[in-house]
Parts: sequence; structure tokens; C-alpha cells
Amino acid sequence: MYAASFQNNSKGLNFPMEHTKNKRMSLQQKQRLTGWIFLLPGVLLILTLSFYPALRALMTSFKTGVGVKMTWCGIDNYLRIFQDKVFLQSIKNCFFYLIIQVPVMLILGLILASLLNNPKLRFKGLYRTAIFLPCATSLVAYAIIFRSLFATDGFINSMLMNLGILENGYNFLSHSFSAKIVIIIALIWRWTGYNMVFYLAGLQNIEYSIYEAAKIDGANLIDIFFKITVPLLKPTILLTVIMSTNGTLQLFDESVNLTNGGPANASITMSHYIFNKAFQGVPNFGYTSAMSFVILIMVAVLALLQMKVGDKRD
Amino acid sequence: MKKKILAMALSAVMACSLAACGSGGSTETAGAKDSKETQAAAEGNELTVWAWDKAFNIYAMEEAEKIYAKDHADFKLNIVEVSWNDLQTQLSTILSSGDYSQLPDILLMQDFAYQKYIITYEDLFTDLTNSGIDFSQFSGGKVKASVVDNKNYGIPFDSGTEIAAYRTDILEQAGYTVDDLTDIDWDRFIEIGEDVLAKTGYSLFSSQAGSSDIIMQMVQSAGGSIWNEDGTPNFIGNETLEAAMKTYEKLFTTGVMATGNSWDEYIATFTSGKTLGAINGCWIMASIESADDQAGLWKITNMPSLPGVAGATNYSNQGGSSWGITTNCKNTELAVDFFNKTFAGSTELYDTILPSSGALSSWIPAGESSVYAEPQEFYGGEAVFEKITEFASKTPGFNTGVYYTEANDALAVAVTNVCSGSDIETELKTAEETVTFNMGQ
Amino acid sequence: MTSKVTNALAYVFLTIAAVLSVFPLVWMIIASTNRSVDVIAGKLTFGGNLAVNYSNLISAQDVWKFFMNSGKYAILTTVLSLLVCSMAGYAFEIFHDKYKDMLFVLILMTMMLPFVALMVPLFQMFSSAKLLNTSLGFLLPSISTPFLIMMFRQSAKSFPVDIIEAARIDGLNEWQIFFRMFVPTMRSTYAAATTITFMNAWNNYLWPKVIMTKSNSQTMPMMISSLTSGYHTDYGMLMLAVLITTLPTAIVFFILQKSFAEGITGAVK
Repeated sequence: MYAASFQNNSKGLNFPMEHTKNKRMSLQQKQRLTGWIFLLPGVLLILTLSFYPALRALMTSFKTGVGVKMTWCGIDNYLRIFQDKVFLQSIKNCFFYLIIQVPVMLILGLILASLLNNPKLRFKGLYRTAIFLPCATSLVAYAIIFRSLFATDGFINSMLMNLGILENGYNFLSHSFSAKIVIIIALIWRWTGYNMVFYLAGLQNIEYSIYEAAKIDGANLIDIFFKITVPLLKPTILLTVIMSTNGTLQLFDESVNLTNGGPANASITMSHYIFNKAFQGVPNFGYTSAMSFVILIMVAVLALLQMKVGDKRD
Repeated sequence: MKKKILAMALSAVMACSLAACGSGGSTETAGAKDSKETQAAAEGNELTVWAWDKAFNIYAMEEAEKIYAKDHADFKLNIVEVSWNDLQTQLSTILSSGDYSQLPDILLMQDFAYQKYIITYEDLFTDLTNSGIDFSQFSGGKVKASVVDNKNYGIPFDSGTEIAAYRTDILEQAGYTVDDLTDIDWDRFIEIGEDVLAKTGYSLFSSQAGSSDIIMQMVQSAGGSIWNEDGTPNFIGNETLEAAMKTYEKLFTTGVMATGNSWDEYIATFTSGKTLGAINGCWIMASIESADDQAGLWKITNMPSLPGVAGATNYSNQGGSSWGITTNCKNTELAVDFFNKTFAGSTELYDTILPSSGALSSWIPAGESSVYAEPQEFYGGEAVFEKITEFASKTPGFNTGVYYTEANDALAVAVTNVCSGSDIETELKTAEETVTFNMGQ
Repeated sequence: MTSKVTNALAYVFLTIAAVLSVFPLVWMIIASTNRSVDVIAGKLTFGGNLAVNYSNLISAQDVWKFFMNSGKYAILTTVLSLLVCSMAGYAFEIFHDKYKDMLFVLILMTMMLPFVALMVPLFQMFSSAKLLNTSLGFLLPSISTPFLIMMFRQSAKSFPVDIIEAARIDGLNEWQIFFRMFVPTMRSTYAAATTITFMNAWNNYLWPKVIMTKSNSQTMPMMISSLTSGYHTDYGMLMLAVLITTLPTAIVFFILQKSFAEGITGAVK
């Protein structure tokens, strides 16, 4: 290494000044070019396979008609959304999930990750794997289990009855508020371990000795968490916040498999409704595209706000 | 031109990702192999079929293939297993993209969705009216599902004739027999049900919460419809529908009908003893029979009728499907001939598939076969298939309409709200508005 | 004393979290040994039906072929996607300028549109490019994802710029810096990304199902969808199938968790 750099330097010295300047310019250009080459495969794939079809979908969203008989209709589809009671309900539902579930899940994930980052902890591997397992568990099995846990004669009810909190079994999934709560609990259960993975990986870029030093200085755990862990993990936290926002506003699996949107559409999500409209009923891809773009706009606004707060380059 | 640019862009992307990784080479070969197979399929005497139940309709297709292959040695079916939900997703995507070459030759279609696909995508199914298949040999109500403007677009397969199945041992404890539950109306049913519930703790039957299937079954049993002549929804002031909703509410509040929050919970209500019966399409028998420790304890009879409604019967239907030949089929003659020698012309086929899958035929000549008269041990030695065939012949016809799924969803919301205290009139009005809104796109 | 208490509390907390998380998997294992009626009745003890469920499953479905299909696609997707996305994420951070930042936002936006809206146009594109029913058509849309690109971009923020400068002075070209310095340093990010990507690719379902219209090249998620779509579902057999589907991701995680959660701190220095 040293030899190489010495050679390079000595070579540089042999060139006249302006020549070096030229070379530096071209080096910078070269770097920029390399940057684009690095980007090329990934960006090209996304532009052709997501961006271009998205533009086509945008065009479709200004058309209406059943099946293949589509005609231009201007912004009718977008106006129609305001009259669609079920879709409006699904927007409310998604924001309810977002506001409660995302903060709880991410904070829990952070706490778990910082606990599991302690090198002196025993059985770390087992704990980590166990906590990650929920998101690997098949949706089919997880839906059956959650439904049976919250069934009228299920485990949760018998526990609450034994504790004297409830007198009779409560059918959680048949009441609109409790059905939503079940979805939130299920989401937290399923995705906390998933987010923990990013935090764990992110924590590896922080020297553990920083913690040791802080401890010696008398900082308590809460201080360490907020003053060291959170600031240093900021890029990772931003990643998980944006991904969870996107994931929750596009939530599909839980609504379909746990509650089937019920009772009476009380827990249906936007993606679930769009999917039903596109593939279960008589399809109007113009209207479903318009609804999809409404989701895009909502997520994009939130994500931009989040990036404004969390993605400053200094 | 646009397509060419697109193809070029895609191949550029392809090249990039292949160059990026050595293992990419294997993907290409795999792709080539796939397309070769497809080519062979188009040339030979092979037909591609989409169906979704290994133990039922796929099994029936395989048996049909065997029968047809006896006289046509080079005949082959390529049966692709596609679940009903996936099939709808695939169909809508393919049809909307306009690339019909991706359609199979034959596809199985739920009867309730047939009208939707025929009318929404005019050139999906081949018109079979003058193809040589004798549709008069199928039971009339069943054929109607795949007929639009007097044209036949489907070959009827299984029917979902409504049955009511009860556990005789528990009924006995409460002092009743299945005869007491035969040929009655829902009012009498509820009376007995309350008594049985008080004495044994069992509900008489169950339904899936948030589903309006049982409402539809009641409406059909009384020969009613949820549509007007002009295709607009007929919910408000529809006496049959109102009677059905009222009955449902009473069944729910008295506890005579239990509910399960999902399909698996619904099945569990009768296989593991919360209810002593099930009322549904006859295909529910496969689930009833999965509790093999209850063999011999079950008996089958007809469903209750709607009280106070003109034309009410004890017979209805839930589910069932038909085979369609798509316009992508390059060898329609072969496909038609295949059906003529099997599903529309072979008692041997139906005799084979009935005992092992319970696939009840809607092809009338099959019902005369002796296999139907064979006693079934699970149902106390009764010849249940004969009985169900008789039910089928008495079932009133039902128009699913194009917007059946939308109506079903809206009525499910209505019935859920009614059960939590809302009144029927308001809910039917909201439901009709929802369906009208969905149709106005 | 207090640190002992906090330690004990940490163990209690982690144990509760772990038990809650593992419960469904345990239930799945139990369920796969029971009869269908017992599974939906919520039986919580082992039964003797495992062999029957297994023989029913392999006679109904070509499980191990589908398993291999899933494995092949998941591994290919993971390898390609890690390479493509980490290069892009690295470049978005290290070589960032105004244009690249704008491009990044644009790319991020493409993931905010529900896939349902893209399916028809994408199908048309693949149809004219003759990619329907090919493995490439199956893989292509899942190789480059905004999510992975952002993940690598965010972690590249902790990759010290001084080191890159030093390496450039030492005469390493950009490719060497990326492959010899960034990749090994970011081992934990790569390990985490591998786990997540593998899981997503293994469970990938909607697009593959739509594009594979003719051939029978099914994967595990498709098989599970088929198992639940008949008139009668055998839940014992189904639970065995979902158990087999879950295990690979769990195993991949267990193998990789050490690499992304431990021990490479300080390698940068």
C-alpha cells in the first residue's frame, strides 16, 4: 500500500503543474462517471419496471370503463373517490393503524435491538432468532392463530375472564374498534423483529466502547438510549420510518387474512379495497389506478416530511 | 415502434443484470425450456386447463382425460392448478392487457362469476350454442349460469345443491329427529332451535360472519331475485330479501345460528361440536366428513323455507362451477369433442368421480346411474346422492347478475349492521346505494 | 446492584418477547402433527398424524420440486439484488450531487404506488418483450428495489469519507474501493439485507403467479394458495406445508444473525 502511494506521488511530481490540474479535473469527471455506472443497473431496472408502468397507470387513471372498454374521463375518477364511502373509510383505517402502530413498533424494535446489542448478554442468537421469527411465519398460520387467540372462547378471553376483567367472552373481531386493535397488535407482533434487524445492523457501526465510556461517566440507560443510540442510528431510523409508513398505508395481508376487512368494512385497508375492486368485482382499472395514486400522494407527502426532518446533509 | 423500443430497453436491462452475475445464464436456459414446452403444446393434441381443486375438479378432469385418451392415444391435458382468487387476478390482468395468447384452452369458472366475465370481456369464451353439445341434457337452472342472450358459453360441471345436515345423536338428546326438521319453514326451525339450544347447548347450524351467502340462499329458495329486470339492484322494498334479512337477524339473536369469524372457524363449529348441523351447498359434505369419528351420526335433509313468502321452497343452491372454452383455444373442435365424450356424454366418468370426490353431476343421464343409489355409511346408510339429485331438480333458478360480488359485499355489510342493532330498511337502502355507486363507474 | 436489577429486567423482557414471538411457530409444529378437525378446534398438544399429513401432502403436491423452485428463485434474486442495489445505494451516497438526490427521491416514489396499479402495464410490457412464462420475467421486477437501495444508501452514511479519499490517494480505483473496502466493512448491512431479501423473494407471490400462466413451475407460496382454495381444506396437511415454507427463512436468519449483529465494530479504523 505504502509503496503504491509513494510511486503514485513520485509520478505526480514529475508532471508539470497544469497537467496535474487537467488530470484532477478528469479524475473528478471520472468519479462522477463511475458514480453513474454504479447507479445504472439498479436505476435502469426501476425506471423501466416501475417508473414507466407507473406512468402508464397514471394515464389509465384518467380513463374509465369496465374491462377493456376504456374511454377518457378527465379527473372523474379522482372526484369519484370523495363519494366512495368505503374508500374514505379505508383511508381513516389506514391512518389509525399508522398513528398507533408505527411509533409503538419502532420504539419497541429499538429497545429490543439495544438490549440485544449487549455483548455480555447470553443466548443472544436464540433471542434474536426468536424475535425475528414472526415475520418469517407463514401468513396462513399466523392468521389462524391470531383469530383463534382472539375468538370468543379463545385464549385472550379466558385469560381476561380469569383475571376478572371481563365477565363474558368478547368477540373481538366482530366489533369495529376491537377488530382494528387486533390488527394493530398483529402488526406489532409481526414486524417488530423485522425492524429490529435494521437497528441491530446499524448499531454495529457504533463502537461499543462509547457506551462503556458513557456508563463510566455515570450516564443512565435512558440517557444513553436517547443521547447516543438514537442520534447515531438516525439514518437507519429514517429508513424504517419511511418503510413502515409506506407499508402501513399499503397494508393488505392483515386486512385480508385476519378480519377480511370486517366487521362491515370497519377494518378494511386501502390496498385491500383496491384489490377487491380490481380483481374480485367487475374491474375498472381506471378507478383502481386513481385510488392507487391517492395512496402514492399520501405516502410521498409523509415521506418527504420525514426526509426533511431526518435526512439533512451537514 | 413503441413496442420495439420497449423490448430493446428490456433486453438492455436483461443484459445488464445477466452480465452482473454469472449465474444469470441459468435463468436464460430455464426460460428457453419453458417456451419450448409451450410450443409443443400448441402443435400436439394437448389442451391446457385451469382449475383449482386437486381433490375435486382437477381430479374429475384427470379422470376425463383417461376416458378420452382410450380412443385418442395422443391426447393430453396440461392441467395447471390455479386457486380461484389467483385465477381471477390472472384473468383480469391478461384480459386487460389484451394478450389473450396467455389464456388456457379450457378454464373452470365459478357459476356466480360467469355472467360477469361473459359480459365484461365479450371475447373471452367461445360460443358453444351450435357446437354439438346437447345442453338440454343438463339441469335447466344450472345451464342458465353460463348463458347470455340465449347463447351458451359454458359446460355445466358440479352443482352446489343446498343441503341441511344434522347430528342425529344430539337431536335425539333434545327429543327431535331429522324428520322434525324436514319440509319446515324458518319460524318452526327457530322454535325447535331455541328448544335444542336450551336443552343441549348446541346451535342448530352456523354461518360465516360478514358473509351474506345464507341470505342469497334464502332468496333463491323462494325464487326471488336481487336484481330488477333492467339489471339495477332491487333491495329496497324487496319482500323476499327483507324476509331473509329478518330471518337472519332472528337466527342470530336467538343463538340458533352460531357464527365463525372466518372460514376455518366456521368449519370448526360443526366438526368440533359447537353446532349440531350445517346448511350449505352439498360440497360442504367433504368438510363434514373430515370429522371421521362422527361417521354414521349425520343425516341429510332439505333446508327450511322462508315463512310468509309466495313461492317459498325448501330448495336452493350455493356455489358450483362450469367449464368454459376460451377464444384462445386453437383446437376448439378437439375441446368440444372431448367434452362431448366426457362431461357431456359419459356416465362412466360421473360414476367414477362421484364416490371418491362427491362431485354431483348436473348432467341428467348420470343421475340415473346405480352409483347414485348406493348407501353412504357416513350418513347412516342413506342414499344421499339420490336425495340431493332430487333436491336439485326442485331448486328454483337464480340470476346472479353481473355485479354479484358487489351485491354480496354490500349485503354482507348490511346484515352485519342489522345484527348489531341497525334496522333492515335503512341498511338495505345503504346497500342498494353502494351497489348503484359501484355500477356507475 | 442496580445494574444487576436492570440486567435481570432485560432478561425478563427479552424472554417474554421471545416466548410471544415463538408461540405461533410452536403452534404450527404442533398443528402439523394433528388431524384437520383438531387443528381448527385449537388443540395444543402433539398428535400422531404427522406421517399421514406428510403422505397426503406429497401425494397431493410435488412439494420438494416447488421447494427447489422457490429456493432457486430466492437465491438468484438475493444475489442479483444485493449486488445491484448496494452499488446503487453506495453511489447515491458517496457520489451524491443535486441530480442524484433528485433521482433518488423519484426512485423512492415508485415504491409508494400499490403494485396492483402496475400489474396490467407491466404484463403488457413483458408480453411484448416475450418474457412471459420465463424465469427472467419472474425475477426481473424483484431485483432492484427502492427499499434495498435506500437501505444501502443510509448505511453508506456511516462509511467514513476520509477513508475513501485516502484510498484514492493510494491509487485504488472506485471499483476497488467499493469491492475491497465498502463491501467487507458493511458486512453487517449485507447480512441483514440478505436475510430480508431472501425472505421477501421466498414469499414473492403475486407477480410470479400472474406471469407464469402456462407452465407448472410453482413455488411454495403458490402451493399454499392452492391448498386453501378447494371445497375442503385439510388443515393438518396445510400446517405441515406452511411449516416447511417457514423453515428456510428462519434458518437463513439464524445462520446470518451473528454476522449482522456482532463483532465487526472497528474494522473501519
